[in-house]
Amino acid sequence: MESDFNILHDFMLHTKNITYLLIVAALVGIAAFWRFLSGKDRENDLGVEGEESKHV
Amino acid sequence: MSEQTNVIKKIFPPDRSLMTPFNVTAGIIIIMGIILTIVRFTGGLAAVTNLDDNYGWGLWIGFDLMAGVALAAGGYTTSAAVYLFGMKRFHSAVRPAILTGFLGYALVVVSLTYDVGRPWRLPFPFIVSQGTTSLLFEVAACVSLYLTVLFLEYSTAALEWLGLKRVRHLIHKMTIALTIFGVVLSTLHQSSLGALFLIAPGKLHPLWYSSYLPVYFFVSSIFAGLSMVIFEGNLAHKYYHDTMDETHLAEHGQVTVGFAKGASFVMMGYLFIKVFGIAKDNNWELLATPYGIWFLVELLGFVALPCYLYAVGVRDRNLKLIQRTSIVVVLGIILNRLNVCLIAFNWYLPFEERYIPHIGEIGLTLFMLTMGILVYKFIVSRMPIFYEHPDYKDAH
Repeated sequence: MESDFNILHDFMLHTKNITYLLIVAALVGIAAFWRFLSGKDRENDLGVEGEESKHV
Repeated sequence: MSEQTNVIKKIFPPDRSLMTPFNVTAGIIIIMGIILTIVRFTGGLAAVTNLDDNYGWGLWIGFDLMAGVALAAGGYTTSAAVYLFGMKRFHSAVRPAILTGFLGYALVVVSLTYDVGRPWRLPFPFIVSQGTTSLLFEVAACVSLYLTVLFLEYSTAALEWLGLKRVRHLIHKMTIALTIFGVVLSTLHQSSLGALFLIAPGKLHPLWYSSYLPVYFFVSSIFAGLSMVIFEGNLAHKYYHDTMDETHLAEHGQVTVGFAKGASFVMMGYLFIKVFGIAKDNNWELLATPYGIWFLVELLGFVALPCYLYAVGVRDRNLKLIQRTSIVVVLGIILNRLNVCLIAFNWYLPFEERYIPHIGEIGLTLFMLTMGILVYKFIVSRMPIFYEHPDYKDAH
């Protein structure tokens, strides 16, 4: 990854660009992860017949 | 039989053998700890530690204090979930979590008396020289106040055991106020422990150093506390199953799954803010160095992996997987605090100048852990921690 910066502005521009892209990824990723995490709860709430847990 | 004999029998039941493998091992560690304590307070820090000018803080701060405080966070997370967010289905987890938190903080303070050069000066920040601009003042104030809060929160169990109904009723009335105060104090000092390292940007490796350190410490304390409650709950179910009432047994599954869900979600957030930290300081190139690989081991092996395993465990309602994952998270938090405090600290020094804990430091850390376990065992086998006292049914 590029690390030659002539002025502070270059550095800030570079790091901010990447950070903002990561923030978009985080917004999408965290929402998707929450759906994954609550998947079985949602199925139960909607009355979908899922396989009963063998573990609890 | 006299009343005094009855009380002694209540505290030390005669039908239990003292010569168990656990008690013998604990006894040996306690004797060793007492000897080391005498050496520490007669010979000074140099007699039992490898601390020097480069490393003012060693194992007692990195493990006993930093990891201890993070792992004791189960107290405020559980009581906040139940009393502030109204998640009453986790109520049976409150007392064990408060007890673990109280013992954790108490041992942190005891460890601190060993670590500071002149422990009798510990009250000085409050009565002699306030030093309000120092983070250490804030940490000292919060830890001492929060230890008091935890003591009061825990004391209801002890008061029920002792039959002091009036005092118990008075303290019970303060539950919400104590919980709010506990959350505020924990937010402050959990983050301040990370902020302590902001003063040393040249000493801490850039991958661990970040202006977000206070946020990292606070956020990681949330899932550390939740995981510790799962871990401790699992052990308690193994060894104190007989002392638990039906409510406790029935709620165990949903406490485990609910806390794992919370921990998993917070870990995902933590993962992202750690990556933001790398991006903000443009430290990507450092990931290809030996320290970078170690950093990735910590982040991927002890955060990303357990985050995913918790999620799978929650989806499948797989308690075994969740309980095993909680061990990985607890180890990960210990590793993180040791990395910040010791391993990635003074990372540029040659190996011969690096800090390796003295056998005395390890011995006294074992002594503290053993003391904690013994006091925990003493309390849970006598006081209403895993069951509701018959005189106080539905009074919580």
